[in-house]
Amino acid sequence: MRVVIAEDSVLLREGLVALLQEYDIEVVAQTEDGEGLLRIVAGHKPDLAIVDVRLPPTFTDEGIRAALEARRRFPDLSVLVLSQYVEPIYTGELLASGESGVGYLLKERVGEVRTFLDAVHRVAGGGTALDREVIASLVRAQTSTGDDPLAELTPRERETLSLIAQGRTNAAIARELVITLGAVEKHVTNIFGKLNLPATDDDHRRVLAVLTYLGAGGLEASES
Amino acid sequence: MASPQAQLERRSGSTLLAAEVTLSVVCSLAVTIIWAVTGGPFWPMWVWTGLGLPIALQVVWRRAWAEPRGPRRRLAIQGSTSVVLTGYLVLVWAMGGFGLFWPVFPAVGLAMAFVLHAVFYSPRQTDLSARVDELTRTRRGALDVQSAELRRIERDLHDGAQARLVALTMQLGRAEARLDDRPETAELIRQAREEATAAVAELRDLARGIAPPVLADRGLVAAVEALAQRSGIDTTVESKLTQRLAPVVESAAYFVTAEALTNAVKHAPGASARIAIRRSGPRLVVEIADDGPGGADPRGSGLSGLRQRVEALDGTLDVDSPEGIGTTITAVLPCES
Repeated sequence: MRVVIAEDSVLLREGLVALLQEYDIEVVAQTEDGEGLLRIVAGHKPDLAIVDVRLPPTFTDEGIRAALEARRRFPDLSVLVLSQYVEPIYTGELLASGESGVGYLLKERVGEVRTFLDAVHRVAGGGTALDREVIASLVRAQTSTGDDPLAELTPRERETLSLIAQGRTNAAIARELVITLGAVEKHVTNIFGKLNLPATDDDHRRVLAVLTYLGAGGLEASES
Repeated sequence: MASPQAQLERRSGSTLLAAEVTLSVVCSLAVTIIWAVTGGPFWPMWVWTGLGLPIALQVVWRRAWAEPRGPRRRLAIQGSTSVVLTGYLVLVWAMGGFGLFWPVFPAVGLAMAFVLHAVFYSPRQTDLSARVDELTRTRRGALDVQSAELRRIERDLHDGAQARLVALTMQLGRAEARLDDRPETAELIRQAREEATAAVAELRDLARGIAPPVLADRGLVAAVEALAQRSGIDTTVESKLTQRLAPVVESAAYFVTAEALTNAVKHAPGASARIAIRRSGPRLVVEIADDGPGGADPRGSGLSGLRQRVEALDGTLDVDSPEGIGTTITAVLPCES
């Protein structure tokens, strides 16, 4: 796998590079700002870009803007955003920005090496990886709102959906919740039914379910 | 404290005045000698008074100029000029051989002009309003500085302690992954990593309380929309505001909205809320309305804290909370964009 990294903190960048190389993931280029990201993505055509949200020169959401622009120019690019804070708006913008893989993780998750590498592979392969904090903040928001489709889900189905949103496969969900694969599949089918998702291929419905899950919130906000 | 520039100007002014005085004394001596040689009536006194008048005016003006800038100084200039002119006229009257005391007429005129000036520009009142203007400006300056400082602290936390702790969790994670064959040590390292992760989370909460990143990144409306999404009650945000405002105004408006929404969630969990943010001339109006049970106490600690925050910016906070109808909190904040 070929990866590029955009991160302005030398400490974190070197840590990331060392970790990825330890697990045979090739870091083909590094940069420390948004402009640089666009340049190295164009130059190296990587499988995955790992991007920090705050980059020079503005030190605000430069990384998100650069990642969105990179995905606009290279729709096949998968992007894993690392941040020191949870911001559902940014997650929504990333998810809405293209078909390929997307991830949004808090930086300290890199320390959970196996989970992090899992997320790297999943996102590079076109999947999704959302931080459990992102999910938790959305669940808090959604569960107490009256009239949303998620209100019909049982707690178990909600847990399942939360794990789908994190990008887990059914098998992984079964392990996590300590239930059988069949039970997971049943939950997933129920979720699709309750959210009124049309019966197309499963992967697409999983993405739609996640989008519903993320709610009007992230997506509407990204357009305003 | 006078600026070096002002001191320099005053010094060069003094030098000029000294030169003028010297020149005048030399001229006076010269004409007096000419008179002593040629004789006749004592005419040099006319030269003396003529040369003395501008010097006297300059001396009193310099004293008047020492008054604080504004109406006091203007009055002082007019008053001292009037006194010098009257004195000069009295001298002229005396040198002209006395007779009818005509200087009384211009003196009365000057005095009336002075009284009129003093009445219309009462120095007390205008001084006070100037002081209020100054205090408003400096307080706002202090708040701006404070707000910028808070954002700087947030940034320093982000780039400093937080980044180091994150790097630490990465390294601990790598160490942990290499210790598969020594599960007890791996467990110790895992615990250390979780401690570091908890510290990162605490720093994050702290930073968010200081200045939510999305507020600095995307501005007030985006930050309020993010709040609305997370609020836990059905919340709509209406705003056409696109420009960024001063950080201190954005922060105040943000924290008012956050507190009002928190109150709504706490006291009206089934209700829905509507947030409207708009510019009205030089003011920003933020309105948070819910259709909960109403009856909020405007003197409650949360609301009075908000009021202090808004009033520090010369804004106003209104709480309208009729029993059974809902609560509307309106904050009006001055904002020159």
